[in-house]
Amino acid sequence: MALGKVAIVGTAQTELRPVWGEAQHIDLISAVVRSVFKGTGFSIDDVDFVIDSGSDVLDGRSISNCGFLGALGAHHKEEARVEADGIWALQYGVNKIRSGASSVGLIVAYSKPSESMVENYWASQVEPFYQRPVGFSQRAAAGIQAQRYLADRGRSVRDLAEFAARRWADAKANARVQIDDLPDAEAVLASSESALPLTQLMMSRPVDGAIAMLIVDEASARRAGNNPVFITGMGSGTDSHAYADRDPLKLTSLEAAAAMAARAAGWSAKEADIVELSAPSVVGEMLAIEILGLDEGKAAVNRSGGALPADPIMATGLCRAVEAVRQLREPQLYDGGSPSRALVHGTQGVGMQNNCVMTLEV
Amino acid sequence: MFSAPESMPLDMPTFHAEISLPYTLTPGRAAGTFLAEMKNKRIVGSRMANGDIVAPAQDFSASDGEPMTNFVEAPQTGEITAFTRVDGNIIAFIRLDGCSNQFPHRILDQLDNVKIGARVKAEWEDGVEQSILAIKGFVLAPDAEVGTVRALDEVEEAIGSLPYSMALQYEHAYGPYYGRMFDEIKGFGRVMGVRGSSNDDALLPPREIDDITHKPTGTWKTCADTGTIRGCSIINMEFIGQTLKPPYVYAEIVLDGASTRLIHFIEIDDVEYAKKNIGPGTRVRAIWTQGERKGSMADIERFEVIDE
Repeated sequence: MALGKVAIVGTAQTELRPVWGEAQHIDLISAVVRSVFKGTGFSIDDVDFVIDSGSDVLDGRSISNCGFLGALGAHHKEEARVEADGIWALQYGVNKIRSGASSVGLIVAYSKPSESMVENYWASQVEPFYQRPVGFSQRAAAGIQAQRYLADRGRSVRDLAEFAARRWADAKANARVQIDDLPDAEAVLASSESALPLTQLMMSRPVDGAIAMLIVDEASARRAGNNPVFITGMGSGTDSHAYADRDPLKLTSLEAAAAMAARAAGWSAKEADIVELSAPSVVGEMLAIEILGLDEGKAAVNRSGGALPADPIMATGLCRAVEAVRQLREPQLYDGGSPSRALVHGTQGVGMQNNCVMTLEV
Repeated sequence: MFSAPESMPLDMPTFHAEISLPYTLTPGRAAGTFLAEMKNKRIVGSRMANGDIVAPAQDFSASDGEPMTNFVEAPQTGEITAFTRVDGNIIAFIRLDGCSNQFPHRILDQLDNVKIGARVKAEWEDGVEQSILAIKGFVLAPDAEVGTVRALDEVEEAIGSLPYSMALQYEHAYGPYYGRMFDEIKGFGRVMGVRGSSNDDALLPPREIDDITHKPTGTWKTCADTGTIRGCSIINMEFIGQTLKPPYVYAEIVLDGASTRLIHFIEIDDVEYAKKNIGPGTRVRAIWTQGERKGSMADIERFEVIDE
């Protein structure tokens, strides 16, 4: 059965910066929740529910959303927290509207990894008896994945560096990301070792920022003040918790998620005009491109630069959706043409354990 | 560019915080047995219902979810199936001889010698118990014979729980609103909030958006350091995270000129006196600390009841 129609009618995003030193979480959240209604014809009074994504471990407080409710616009409204990337908050919100229980939802995801030690955030996610003591974590998983990938596909570390440099250049050109010094491939190769064979710039760069999105049912979308973007397919999948138990050269849960979204949308990833992917490393993104069967010559893949230059952990997938909405609505800002289909992807967990895919159409 | 926080940033240092929680982890039967056997320098694995041998031991099969059938002793030799180096440490996936799975551990050798398929054997660390780090790591052993999985009739009793702790460090940004509030406390010993979007009473702590109307807040306003208790509890027991020794009164105080409640404490000598004389409606005043203020709510040492 095809999905009932749910539309994105507004998006907002702060600039993504390595350190938003002069702003608290609530300052960033307030900024995007105030902005998201602009031009939509909707106001906070129309919102039936708020769903937010963030991490208590990154935020340094338990049930951190409770301290942010005012900024979230959730006063006396239904509110729920999704402790996962914001694309899962969007999935939750879409399902609430599809169920007929609500018609207008506000989705917010935010991140301030600069306030904590991201290593600890990842370490907290691995199994504590066998894995954490030996130092296995996100970086080790990425390194092992990369080493196997290079050996199997006959690609070089320089290929990885050139890929990363391209993404950074795209982010500088097209996305709202603070980049002071644009690294070229040489700089990527010369950056410090993160997890052999990956250098630091072959891993995603954690950044601070907040994202908001306003979603509505089809009837409400008809009275929106700007072009609605419809969510026509969704899929998600999960893989074994232990990275060592997974198929090393596949992302099985991404494959399953993409197939689920394609069944609902009636078209598959390779038919998309615009693709926005999330990945914690160059190799993770290369694998995702392979698994989705994407041709970078045909589809615009990560024109925003994707997650490598800017990874607002917990908001990265929702950020991909915001970027895709912008590219669908305002093609004149990019290569022109008339794109009508976008595929967006979010991931979470050590070594991309869980994946979520959505199809967007105008 | 969508809007950034609209107030001027203040040059404030970050606020350091640490969350350090004690845990007792429950390893369950398989991991508990594996860890208990570390002192005997034995590697305990599981035989799964489908015949697979998995080491370190697991209660359930990762491939089909079926419970394990019995423990076995895995050999201490195997091969490297993948590796990387993180922070100078070589971390590899190792498949022990006769086992179907791989698991991560350290390789104690030079990177140049580490190859996929290389034979390795476990090296033990004396004196370490109840941890997988009793295996210090694996060393290259090109000539090691292929080991065999052996039956294990008697095993140590599984460890029921393990003490554990994790400390997380934070450097929180104050932001423009909290930044000014704490600056005012530090510099002038006054508590300032911002007016709500449609009334004169101040919101404390100050913020950009009025929670109720979700409209921008108004101008800054100095509140009095006297106020009225609107909710309170007499604390008579000790618990983790307390900053005062009981008994004391936890109080939610609306400062004169504010609309929101400020959480603070009232020191008491006598619980019975507090029960009779402290409650919603009681008037209180702030007692500031002596000496230099730090720019923190703790610059107000406590509140005391105003005798009228």
